[in-house]
Amino acid sequence: MEAYLLNLAILISIYSILAVTLNFIMGYAGIYSLAHAVFFGIGAYASSYTALNFSASIFITLPVAMAIGAALSLVLALPALRVRGEYFVAASLGLQVLAVTIFSEWKGVTGGIGGLIGIPPVNIAGLEIYKPGEFIFLTVVTLIVVLVVINRLVHSSFGRSLQAIRDSESAAAAFGKNVPLIKTISVVISAALTAVAGALYASYLAFINVESFMLDTSVLIMAMVIIGGTGTQAGPIVGAALLLLLPSVISYLDFLPQTEIGSIQQIIYGLGMALLMIYRPGGIIGRKKVTSAGGSK
Amino acid sequence: MTDTHTSSSDVLLEIRGLNKSFGGVKAVDEVSMDLRAGIVTTLVGPNGAGKTTFFNLITGELTKDTGSIRWLGQKIDRIKPYQAARKGILRTFQDLRLFNDMTVEENILTSIEPMSFPTFRTRAQRAEQQERVEYALERTGLADKRHTLANDLAYAERKFLSMARILATDARLWLLDEPASGLDPQSYDRFLDILRVEVKKGVTVCIIEHNLDIVISISDRIAFLDRGRLLADGDPETVLNDPELTAIYFGERA
Repeated sequence: MEAYLLNLAILISIYSILAVTLNFIMGYAGIYSLAHAVFFGIGAYASSYTALNFSASIFITLPVAMAIGAALSLVLALPALRVRGEYFVAASLGLQVLAVTIFSEWKGVTGGIGGLIGIPPVNIAGLEIYKPGEFIFLTVVTLIVVLVVINRLVHSSFGRSLQAIRDSESAAAAFGKNVPLIKTISVVISAALTAVAGALYASYLAFINVESFMLDTSVLIMAMVIIGGTGTQAGPIVGAALLLLLPSVISYLDFLPQTEIGSIQQIIYGLGMALLMIYRPGGIIGRKKVTSAGGSK
Repeated sequence: MTDTHTSSSDVLLEIRGLNKSFGGVKAVDEVSMDLRAGIVTTLVGPNGAGKTTFFNLITGELTKDTGSIRWLGQKIDRIKPYQAARKGILRTFQDLRLFNDMTVEENILTSIEPMSFPTFRTRAQRAEQQERVEYALERTGLADKRHTLANDLAYAERKFLSMARILATDARLWLLDEPASGLDPQSYDRFLDILRVEVKKGVTVCIIEHNLDIVISISDRIAFLDRGRLLADGDPETVLNDPELTAIYFGERA
């Protein structure tokens, strides 16, 4: 039981990092990406490949994962951020589909469909961390660091620029904001931090394959952000915890037919999402109903 | 109509032969005009005369078909809106386009932060910024509302926030798109006072305005546009006393 809860806590903190980094671009810059799992995957594969072939030191695997995640995010950001919001969603969806193909076919790096096995544990200056009781500290500390970094960014001039762009791109530009550049930087920062979650995830499980980085995951992370509260600090974490706890809670309810748990879960998700969007569009943590005055373009 | 304005002040913005068509409609038709430093030029004309399009061409929101625009003698034909802003050309929008989910103070603060990369600022720089924000808050009477979301402001307050954003900057040219429309008399006075003080300090203003009382009380110069063409450009008395223009303005087209 304790191991089970510990495992859950580790996954919640990793998914919280994913939700927090997606919220950074979604909630503050208004960039809706369906490719978040791609950067999660890139971080996981890049750090695993590095750990398997070069060094398992966290001081090497993490920077490599972040750098590759950041660099590859430009593939999405550079062409897609010059167009309007709807097109970005479509472009990110395309990237997600493309990435799944690459993850499952590029055997030399990703291990193909079978994935990578025997990924070395995280190594911090010679100390190997693989026991869940120790790993939880690593993920929680990382989550806190990510939160602090994003919090600082959001409350800086950069964060204000993002929010201004979200509220009115044309007005932001009229006040000197280089909109495509600022959006690109935000996507790069988000992707680099997302890759950190991937690196932790891979070394924790010691095994990864494409199934963790598919469209379902991107949708799940987006659901965590929306349900928790887009554009809030705590919302994404609440959303991540809720959506990961839900399956466990449901499986404890004895009166439910065990074979139907999967579909019951889907129904609860769907219903919950719909009700939330109607009654609390700002999410659980978010402000109540957002009244929209004045037309902003 | 001849130019009767006698000021010898410098030309900030020089526009020559500007054209812009949308489909078959000429929104701006061969407009040539100078915006001189330190004065208020008012654009008047019926709806659809091309006034806002004219602003959009200056700031690079729209690309001209032909013609030239020079800022302090330098061509700025292919400029993007953010570059125009960084050169000191700022505008307000008729539909305001406030940063609705940000507070009043954040709206003003972000308007004086054009940088793209996360930037560190010294204590002195931040203090200087805050001073400018306070000035804009105080002049527009929004100091009490500094922590209110732009979305939650009343109509007149929203219009003043739109002014405050521009007021906090050090822009040399303000393009104001109907900033006073729908204001109550008391707000009018505040608005006029803001404008007078800043123009005295050297700001150049080009304003689109329909209310003739306001036009008369602020204009150093009036440019009359109709169906994309500049019909008159001169001192207020001459333009406003021209019976032909008045007829067009009030829709009594011959």
